[in-house]
Amino acid sequence: MSTEATVRVFALVFWLQEQAAVLRGICPGRGITLTASLLLIPFLTFAQSVSHPAATDAIFSSSLLPSAELPDAPAPPRPQNAQTQQQKPQQNNEPTLGDLGFTPAQTQANAKLQARLNKRTHMLKIHQTLGLITLAPLAATVIVSSGATPKHSHTSNGTVIEPSSSGVDLHAALGSTTAVLYGLTAYCAIAAPKIAGVKPKGAIRLHRDLVWIHLPGMVLTPILGGMALDQENQGEKPHGIAAAHSYVAWTTVTAYAASAVAVSWPIHWKFWEK
Amino acid sequence: MRFALALAVLAATLPAHAQNQWVLAQSTLTWHVTHPMHEVAGTSHAAKGKGTCAKGECNFLIAVPVNTFHSGDSNRDLHTLQVVRGAEFPMVMVRTRLPQSALTSPTIRANLEVQLAGQTAHYSDVLLHRTQHGNDVEITGTIPATCSDFKIERPSFLTVPIHNEIPVDFDVLWRPE
Repeated sequence: MSTEATVRVFALVFWLQEQAAVLRGICPGRGITLTASLLLIPFLTFAQSVSHPAATDAIFSSSLLPSAELPDAPAPPRPQNAQTQQQKPQQNNEPTLGDLGFTPAQTQANAKLQARLNKRTHMLKIHQTLGLITLAPLAATVIVSSGATPKHSHTSNGTVIEPSSSGVDLHAALGSTTAVLYGLTAYCAIAAPKIAGVKPKGAIRLHRDLVWIHLPGMVLTPILGGMALDQENQGEKPHGIAAAHSYVAWTTVTAYAASAVAVSWPIHWKFWEK
Repeated sequence: MRFALALAVLAATLPAHAQNQWVLAQSTLTWHVTHPMHEVAGTSHAAKGKGTCAKGECNFLIAVPVNTFHSGDSNRDLHTLQVVRGAEFPMVMVRTRLPQSALTSPTIRANLEVQLAGQTAHYSDVLLHRTQHGNDVEITGTIPATCSDFKIERPSFLTVPIHNEIPVDFDVLWRPE
């Protein structure tokens, strides 16, 4: 095979690679090369048997493969990390980004960081949604708590009215639901990617600091509730640490609500304005 | 005599030459976001800029890293960085071309080209106010940017998205170079 024929065969290989990539919607790769090589076998045989260059010219002539009819080759992928922003061609002494003295680190794209930010936002959106959903069973637990505690009658004999078992069960079920949802909410915040070099600042600091109150509270409250229930079932008035169940619960609820408000601060109620 | 003449010519040309190049000496850029429950602003003082004048026309470029805007809440700033794809497109750039004669007017109508989040938006007839401070020139104005101009997905709180309008106030001080 002559040198010219070899060059033309390589050109055909590339063209077939491009066609295959266009057809399959992917960039040329190893598999495509193999496919193209297999497709080339008849052409290679033909090229080897051709003795007159005019014959090969006929194969590759523009009349057979007009360039205008050929689809454009897919653009090669650009390496994201090496990409820098802007690069508008300079015209009429227009200043460019390079003239301003920014460091390459400031102007260079960082696809990995963008991916981390995207994942972070995604997880924190779930955190926010679950956190708000958790407010519902939390409030319900507080509301039904009155049906789960013994009541003292105002009569002179001071009779104690025991709570109904259904009231206690409802309170416990709602409390458990709250604890599970709270755990999922916390997981989403903890598992969200951290961005290096960013220190918590502003309202988010209070939101995070309040975790040290409502997290232990959310663990302790059901434990103390269970202890108090056991003591009541034994005919005893809740005593010791179990007696603190309602106080711990209220502290937890207050800290949780404050945490939700803190992350939304400052709040301006302007629904009536456009 | 020739020396004095040469000095006089040099003295006459120096200021004219100096005003062909401008550099940004100080800047304050502030974006505003409005939500029914919030009104938030983020400010950056980290912009850099340059202006070059030739043949009666001046080209200005101001650029500022997206991550230098601070709203007072690090969580919000990271979220802002995410929605404007600030890691992928770290710079906000504003370009404008003005007739050199407009630079002496107290108000200037400018056509601005703004690049943000990988998108380019054009704003026509943006009103700029000019104040002279010695050799320096202070320019103030507001870019009437919107989220949709830059295909920014509007963040939402309690399922209510922020308003589409995210105007950017700027107060920049240009100094002849």
